[in-house]
Amino acid sequence: MSLVARDITKRFGGLTALSQVSLELNPGEVHGLIGPNGSGKTTLLNLMSGYYRPDAGKIELDLTDISTATVQRRAALGIARTFQKPRLLPTLSVLDNAMLGGWRDARAGFLSTAFCLPRVRIDERLLRSRAEELLHGVGLSHAIGRRANLLEHAEQRFLEIARGLAQRPRFILLDEPAGGLTPAEIEHLGAVIGVMRAEGVGVLLVEHHTDFVFRISDRVTTLDVGTMIKHGTPDEVRRDPDVIRVYLGA
Amino acid sequence: MLVALITGLATGALYAAAALTYNVMFSTSKVLSVTTGHISMLGGIFGAWFISTLGWPIPIALLGSMVVGAAFGFLTDLIAIRRVLARSDEHLWLLSTLALATMVQQATGLWWGTEPKPFPRLIPQDFSAGLADQKYWLPIAIAILLAVALELFYRRTLYGKLFVAMSEDAFAARARGIPTGRIRAMSYVIAGAMGGLAGFAAGQLTFAYFALGLTLTLNGFIALAVGGLGSNVGALVGGAALGILSAVATYFVGGEYQQTISVGLLMIVLLLRPAGLFGSQTVRPV
Amino acid sequence: MKLPNRTFALFIVTAALATLPWWAGDLYKLHLAALICAYWVLIGGLNLVVGYSGQLSIGHVGLLAIGAYCFAILAGTHDVHPAFAIAASGALCALCGLLLGLPSLRLPGFYFAMATLAFALIVTEITLAQGNLTGGGVGLSVPGFPPPFDTPRGSYWLILTLAALVTWLSWNVARHTWGRALVAVRDSAVTAQAVGVPVFRAKLTVFVFSGFTAGVAGALFAVLQSYITPDTFVFDLGLFFFVCIIIGGRGHILGPAVGTIVLTALPEMVAPLAKLGNFFYGLLLLAVVLLVPEGIGRVFELLLQRLRPRRESHVVKPDLDRLAKAIEHGRSAR
Repeated sequence: MSLVARDITKRFGGLTALSQVSLELNPGEVHGLIGPNGSGKTTLLNLMSGYYRPDAGKIELDLTDISTATVQRRAALGIARTFQKPRLLPTLSVLDNAMLGGWRDARAGFLSTAFCLPRVRIDERLLRSRAEELLHGVGLSHAIGRRANLLEHAEQRFLEIARGLAQRPRFILLDEPAGGLTPAEIEHLGAVIGVMRAEGVGVLLVEHHTDFVFRISDRVTTLDVGTMIKHGTPDEVRRDPDVIRVYLGA
Repeated sequence: MLVALITGLATGALYAAAALTYNVMFSTSKVLSVTTGHISMLGGIFGAWFISTLGWPIPIALLGSMVVGAAFGFLTDLIAIRRVLARSDEHLWLLSTLALATMVQQATGLWWGTEPKPFPRLIPQDFSAGLADQKYWLPIAIAILLAVALELFYRRTLYGKLFVAMSEDAFAARARGIPTGRIRAMSYVIAGAMGGLAGFAAGQLTFAYFALGLTLTLNGFIALAVGGLGSNVGALVGGAALGILSAVATYFVGGEYQQTISVGLLMIVLLLRPAGLFGSQTVRPV
Repeated sequence: MKLPNRTFALFIVTAALATLPWWAGDLYKLHLAALICAYWVLIGGLNLVVGYSGQLSIGHVGLLAIGAYCFAILAGTHDVHPAFAIAASGALCALCGLLLGLPSLRLPGFYFAMATLAFALIVTEITLAQGNLTGGGVGLSVPGFPPPFDTPRGSYWLILTLAALVTWLSWNVARHTWGRALVAVRDSAVTAQAVGVPVFRAKLTVFVFSGFTAGVAGALFAVLQSYITPDTFVFDLGLFFFVCIIIGGRGHILGPAVGTIVLTALPEMVAPLAKLGNFFYGLLLLAVVLLVPEGIGRVFELLLQRLRPRRESHVVKPDLDRLAKAIEHGRSAR
């Protein structure tokens, strides 16, 4: 029932970005992934979501090897993600951006859509109501009709989360979602992640705000220059001497 | 048959020169400009105008053509590139250079006329010189000269090294204090001068013809893609291959299918080696 | 806009277009209107490719040519009924779109544009070279539509209906999930992948569709010209189609439609512009790209926004219960 990265090694030219890293993401769990810049966090996230292929090791979902599955295939299998720098469609509204996440639930093909068959209208209504509920849920009620390029940074981040949730994912991989957020917004983010976890979504949280990570994660993995240096509960990781030396400071 | 080969090599040299111009502009801006072919077109037309109409001595006309090319290169950067690169929309530069190219081609057609006009003799030579005619070896010599000069520029001069730095990582270059905007403008000026010179040298082969702009943009691009983006050796090889193939095909099948054949070549090469013969694989989206 | 206003405006426009033969003035203007509609049959389909999926095809005139010659050969030389000939032109060009799109849609933007340019030039070469089939440089004469469409009014209404059909089809695609997916392909392929959009297949699908509409447009265009030669289908025409879309605004239906009308009619009404020809289109394109890259349609949107100043909140306030319910509903739908 888990999304697992098993003994992953990834090289870029002469540089080894990840070396024999393993990580297990379970449903209904928040798994924090921390480490200094360049430690390979985003690379691991990209490997799990399908933008890269591992050089060694595998990515497994429910014990099935999906290492060579495309990004789209993984989305269909229930893996969603956000990006370090929010990627939105600036000319579309917030609602349209969120509805985009519902792509795989839209059954109508191109010709059916062109001729506006009944299926198309049903799909649209369903996707719209789902996206609206999610947007209210993450806190963007005030901006639903707004053009996406008019959003401020925090709103963009929450919109990406709404879009990810519109995919009805089993697992959502968040790439530094707290980047650029105020403390109040980080509180909201934590609450939203808490709801995801309570509803059974597995959350991978790649983050630099270590206090935040320790506070809301069930388990934490720490990377440094591509290797895993500690894995365990937040308390265990927080107290580990290697982690402190490499990342947290004295 | 030998005439066909030599003609092909000469035309190919012009394509190669265009490919070199593409490379120079691409290195600092990561933009493939639609105006590339038009630079050489202007070089040829203005060369003919300077010599035949204004009566300028040939060396001055040569310089003049290079200045026209350089000015047009500068204009391309100023109008079509500078403001556009600042925006996040990826392919805006394709539209702006396309627009500028269209304007220049049409304006030239209106001024110079739509018929190809003869380009004057540059070096006193009998018209019965056959294969040794300057209309063949001038473009070939210039293409090789440009490629060699470019290599020396990149390796031996400070500015050349700055170009290389910018082409590898413009962001890092800017962070180190390199004035990337000015370097880019400079590269467009140099590319313009190169294109103008090439157009001038090939004038007797192509005639002074306004429609050369778009066809040279396309064929220069095919030479570039076949040889590999970013490679100057590739530009020469790609141009030669394209030129010879077109000429030989014309000799055997007639000139009716030239474009089809050259694009066919491109497709085959791209299928077998997507980065071109001498190109390098490039990097990632996420 | 409020719904009643939009429906009313649509009604007025439809009525105006339908009754155009009576208020347009002379036959020349009627012919021009029919030509604009024929162009729009192509541009309306091409809009999904250029304006929505962001593939910069500048050589669609090649498909127009194939459609035109296909119709002329079938309906003229071989006496096939024009209705079948039109359908065949559409189908043939859809196939050509598939063959052209398969190798070239995987290429980066500039490469793709050059590939379409080369395609247009190749089509011209082949129509010149295959004299027995196409009449070579001399060209072909094109039969007219069968009654009741053989009058200027009749042909106008036929073409108008097809133009309206293309508008409706593309509008349907644009405003539903497919439209959003295409915009994602255009603006952020990475995002499109992340939500599961099959990027290449999406691009290819709209490209084939645009091939079909171009083929039909070619047939209609051929009838309006009544005689076609390879010179009829110069690259400049393909550039014109492309410019109509960019100027009208990518991601819109109405903008490019208005763009088509204005850019076709303008050189007819303002004689000096006709002489400038492509220079004018190039200048307009440059101006739009530098000043209003999202197209003139966007300018109107912005003006409307200015008229309605609103103080906007940017505070994010989650509603956790609603969120929980929404996720739960999503899970049970699986």
